[in-house]
Amino acid sequence: MMRDEVYIVGDEVISPLGMGSAVNFQRLLDGHTAIAPVMDTRLCDHPIHAARMDEAQWTPLVRDAGRYTRLEKLFILALQKLIDKHAIPLDKGSLVVLSTTKGNIGLLGNPASTFPQQRATIPAMAGAIQHYFGFENPLIPVSNACISGSLAIAVARRLLRHDRRYKRAIVVGGDELSKFIVSGFDAFQALDDGPCRPFDRNRKGLNLGEAVAAVYLSTEPVTGAMKIAGVGTFNDANHISGPSRTGEGLYLSITEAMREAGAVTPGFLSAHGTATPYNDEMEAIAFERCGLSTIPTHSLKGYFGHTLGASGLLETVMAIHSLTNNMLIPSPGFAHQGTSRPLNIITQRTPGPLRSFLKTASGFGGCNIATMIQNG
Amino acid sequence: MERHRYHIRSYCTIRGRTIRVDGTPFFAADPVTPLGDFLKSAYRQLAIDYPKFHKMDGLCKAIFIAAELIARESGPYERHAPLVFANRSSSYLSDSRHANDIFREEDPVASPATFVYTLPNIALGEISIRHQLQSENVFFIFDSYLPEFLVPYANATLEGQHAATSALCGWTEVTDETCDLLLYRIELIGQWPHSVEQLKRIYNEEDE
Repeated sequence: MMRDEVYIVGDEVISPLGMGSAVNFQRLLDGHTAIAPVMDTRLCDHPIHAARMDEAQWTPLVRDAGRYTRLEKLFILALQKLIDKHAIPLDKGSLVVLSTTKGNIGLLGNPASTFPQQRATIPAMAGAIQHYFGFENPLIPVSNACISGSLAIAVARRLLRHDRRYKRAIVVGGDELSKFIVSGFDAFQALDDGPCRPFDRNRKGLNLGEAVAAVYLSTEPVTGAMKIAGVGTFNDANHISGPSRTGEGLYLSITEAMREAGAVTPGFLSAHGTATPYNDEMEAIAFERCGLSTIPTHSLKGYFGHTLGASGLLETVMAIHSLTNNMLIPSPGFAHQGTSRPLNIITQRTPGPLRSFLKTASGFGGCNIATMIQNG
Repeated sequence: MERHRYHIRSYCTIRGRTIRVDGTPFFAADPVTPLGDFLKSAYRQLAIDYPKFHKMDGLCKAIFIAAELIARESGPYERHAPLVFANRSSSYLSDSRHANDIFREEDPVASPATFVYTLPNIALGEISIRHQLQSENVFFIFDSYLPEFLVPYANATLEGQHAATSALCGWTEVTDETCDLLLYRIELIGQWPHSVEQLKRIYNEEDE
């Protein structure tokens, strides 16, 4: 049975670089990065490099702001902008998929929290956001480590194709910095004490970041629509916290996404590129196995840090703007080849006709995903 | 009349301190047994040597045991069989342990061994390693058991697969003392229809 094509027809981003996806894209073109030294004992007892949001400028825009947690307010702001811009109905025809790895986890066991502990759960957060807007459908939360954002797009696409009740979908993803998350990555010794350097030979680890990003999906190919042309997602079955040495799950994911898209060679790769030694090496191996080593490649982690449940969405949205503007975005922090297999890392803004890109992500638990997006 | 392309081949429930496979009791302990002790005893009943089990948190242990029992009952899993899971409290057991580690007054320090389990899909990674499953994984977080969502979603997932005709699905809510778990394997052929009604019946079976 032929299934409807599903298109991304709108997007929204709130990051430390600004509010609005066009604003964020322009900031990337101008070479700005959100990563900066952060010294705040509420997050960590020593200085770290991270991409942190100064949300106080925006959150007063939220109605009854005191009723919502910081992260909920950021979700609300992004959703409000997307809904207003595209006049999205809130009725039964609108599916809302929410991506987050940890939601309001910063409240859990935190003596400084002013919210009940119950609010730390993902259903409580999803309920608060649903209530704010009056969505008729409950939100569908996906929590699948660092592939959550891209996976949530794939989930929404599948539901739009198979469930006739849904006419359109919003996919929104977000995570925030908290002591919970920072202390964990720090304990893993996964953090670089300076700005991260994806795919570079001197990379030492990742920087954490926070953002909320959203896309609006439709089965109508309106002007400027981006087709979700193929998706593949496979587990490595190798290790719960380390990537596969052969890149098997990512290799299977890319192969499937490209098969479904119909032998399209992507114009560029938007890699996961966390800047941990093992992740970037694994990606280089998988890209080589897929014959993609010469395709221009970037990681956006050097601008935004690793935004966890937002990252797949945030990086997809920026890549879409790259297609629309026919401009390749450089990969910050890269100077020297640092993987056993060579990659074609983008080091400067490069104009050129672009028709498609492949977004990849990998996460704890051994999960991987690849998504092929085509212009029109 | 609803058409059921897929069927439930085998299922496992862990409710309170009782484990059943296809409705038949496999192991039971006194209802006041601490969850950790109960899961350890159930693991011993499996009579396997898998040292990684002891590093897992309660959510992973419960899912591991159920996945093992289903494979025993119905044979090895297909390599690309998708995993479609949901629960309410995500990885609460490890989340609360990690939060306690970092906020306690005396010597607050994070443990990597705990932090690695603070994601619900780690359990999917664990059973993927055990059963060599290289497949699609998704973990949903819902307020309550929702076969109305899981049944059509699993059907849609299988329709898009080229290398699998079966899936392992489940509701896996595990907190400090409660264990409310249903894992089920769906295939083209099986004893029970893969329907919302059937899954409600199985979920409520022990209360009858």
